[in-house]
Amino acid sequence: MLLHPAIMALLLLSLLVTAMLLPAALFALQILRHWNMQSGSARQLALERKTYLISTLLTWVFTAELLSLFLFIYSAEALSGQFVGAMCATGVLNINAWGWPTLWLKIVTFFAGSLWLIMNQLDNHGYDFPLIRQKYILLLLIVPLLLAGGYSQLSFFSALNPEVITSCCGSLFSADAQGVAAELSGIAPKNALLMLTVAALILCVTAYLVLKQGTRLTALAFSITALLFFAIALSAIVSAVALYIYQHPHHHCPFCLLKAGHHYSGYLLYLPLFVATALALPLPFIARCQAIPSLSATAHRWVKQLSRSSLALYLLFLVIVLLEIAASPLRLLSQ
Amino acid sequence: MRSSKPRPSTPWLFFLLLGISFTLLTFADSLRLRDAMQADLTANRQLVRDLALTDLALFTDARYVRHLSQQDNYAAFQDHPMALEHFPSGSLIMPPQLSP
Amino acid sequence: MNHFFSRQRYLIDYTLASLLRRKGKHATLLLIYTLVIALLASVMLFTEALRQESQLLLSDAPEIVLQRQIAGRHALVPVDYLEKIGTIRGTHQIEGRLWGYHYDATIKANYTVMASEEHALTNSEIIIGATLARSRGVAVGDMLSLSAADGGTFVFTIKALLPSTSELVSSDLVLMTPHALRLTLGIPEGFYTDVIIAVRNPREMQKVAAKLIERLPDSRPILRDEILRTYEAVFAWRQGVVLLLLVTTVLAFIIFAWDRASGLSAEERREIGILKAVGWEIGDILQMKFWEGTIISLSAFLTGYLIAYLHVFYGNASLFAPVLKGWATLYPDFRLYPVIDALQLTTLFCFTVIPYAVATLVPTWRSAITDPEEVMR
Repeated sequence: MLLHPAIMALLLLSLLVTAMLLPAALFALQILRHWNMQSGSARQLALERKTYLISTLLTWVFTAELLSLFLFIYSAEALSGQFVGAMCATGVLNINAWGWPTLWLKIVTFFAGSLWLIMNQLDNHGYDFPLIRQKYILLLLIVPLLLAGGYSQLSFFSALNPEVITSCCGSLFSADAQGVAAELSGIAPKNALLMLTVAALILCVTAYLVLKQGTRLTALAFSITALLFFAIALSAIVSAVALYIYQHPHHHCPFCLLKAGHHYSGYLLYLPLFVATALALPLPFIARCQAIPSLSATAHRWVKQLSRSSLALYLLFLVIVLLEIAASPLRLLSQ
Repeated sequence: MRSSKPRPSTPWLFFLLLGISFTLLTFADSLRLRDAMQADLTANRQLVRDLALTDLALFTDARYVRHLSQQDNYAAFQDHPMALEHFPSGSLIMPPQLSP
Repeated sequence: MNHFFSRQRYLIDYTLASLLRRKGKHATLLLIYTLVIALLASVMLFTEALRQESQLLLSDAPEIVLQRQIAGRHALVPVDYLEKIGTIRGTHQIEGRLWGYHYDATIKANYTVMASEEHALTNSEIIIGATLARSRGVAVGDMLSLSAADGGTFVFTIKALLPSTSELVSSDLVLMTPHALRLTLGIPEGFYTDVIIAVRNPREMQKVAAKLIERLPDSRPILRDEILRTYEAVFAWRQGVVLLLLVTTVLAFIIFAWDRASGLSAEERREIGILKAVGWEIGDILQMKFWEGTIISLSAFLTGYLIAYLHVFYGNASLFAPVLKGWATLYPDFRLYPVIDALQLTTLFCFTVIPYAVATLVPTWRSAITDPEEVMR
């Protein structure tokens, strides 16, 4: 275990999150069992009052989780100086088996959490708690994710052993190695960028349909395209965009981008991409809420607003990618 | 209806803006300070190179804290089982990192 | 959207007015909050600056230092080791270093005596670190006597001082000629303190180190990377320990904040009761309370951080530098190399604002569900 301030902050966050989550989960069970809008019983009244507390609590939980995703990546980056062989976050995440699962869990939690937050906001617009059941079912699904994330993070940090010689991005993200990272690095930059372009075009079309019609089906289509675009964008960053930024035809790391040496261009790329995806994922759900009487106006407006902001952020991402490629002296496509 | 008294949020938002801009300013200021120290830093690095220095002269009280990176292999409580640290700075540096 | 902002603005207006109505109560909280943040931030900025500076300075440390160990202790290296090392492929410049410690009984301090051939010294001249000169109260041209290994005393003339800007690495240094050093410290001819080795290709560092141990089993090579990692870890660890100690302070503050938030005065309860009576809902009151927390937290966070910045980089961390710098007689006096980044600010935020927000959550909600009828009766 290393006593690094950022590690301590992360553990503190996860402790607080767990402490807040358990009462929230218990409350969710109560809601699912006893919630009855028609009843005027004392229990129903208490539940109604308590739901304010729990949703504020959960807002903090997910804010803390968002913060901890950022802090986790940033601190993995900062810790790289303390381990033999680690040049960036990749090396630190490789130190033991818990590194990557923690990162993935944090990313999934980030999306699940933003879905919950958007649902909660939407629910607040209806006078009769229209989404309360769905909200708390989703919460019960997120709880194990959060706990697993916390556990995995704790295991990761407590097993950080400075004697271990890790392998860093140079060996993990190289076309000759084995595994997913290597597969991604192996994609030819031309193909990756082509796929990104195609995905962007489909995204624009589905976004147009959503804005035009706003039906459940179009929203679902947009959401799925967005998810695909997210995956393609990530692999394009590894296989092509990173090369332009590093100005090196064989350096594929997705984390070195976050370093000051590359002008923090990673944040510029990841931030719009993640936020856009977080906005796109709840769309089918919101589109469905258009059928609920107390929400239909709001839901209708939200479908348009969210898909518009999401598309705008994706386009921003693409513009940044184009600028990075244009600014780089490296030329990969002309060969 | 508009009262003549200013809204309390105006001065606070102003204060907030001021605080945030000063915070951003510290980033710029740290760059300025670093630039100002650059010459000294280069000279110090030259000194480190010339004299082949290996450590910072933060503590001078004992060998193993003066030259942290050059110390002998050591174990905690090496003198005898009840021995506490001789030097306060020994408690500020790190215990030896053991593999679990 | 506009509606949203103007609504929040009115809420802030109301919250501020309500905060100002009870200045005394909130001023103490704000003051303590600010101080806690300033304290934590000072520690973080200070150690981080030191860590960064150590990394920058020591990136020019020797690539490999080879020590010899006998009976688990550092021993002198005989000259023929240098030749043996020279036969290892990949080694480049091999130099014996001559240095050692000298205890000065007059000011009860250890000096680090080093041989230097660069400064054109004669055998009776020395160059000393600025901290040492300050502690002994000597200047250029003065005499400094050092007791020698054979019981005698050597008197040296101080030829120059090392620049005072370099105190972080040179505070206790005494530079003299190799000959004078051998006499003073009693290192016999034909021996060195340790050996520094430059490696032609930095990638072969590990390989060369492995060969060194193989060829010279009683030796211990220390790589530059190890030196850098040692310092990296030491400062991170030290920062962690101090923060851990300060967590108790944060905890005390959190309890204080919790207590403040739950112990509502009759007047405050009445205020909430009236708000609810005029039509505010639980959600509105929670939003108002959210702004109350945000106003206090942001004010404290920004002020505390700025105080810490001024304290550390303009006030030379005068409040606790002695503790962090150690108890040595020779205090190096140095300017900190300011490096700040978003990680520090986020960590600080996690240590202070988030716990505060969580601690005040339940009491806030309790007050928000107050029954209007109950308090206005």
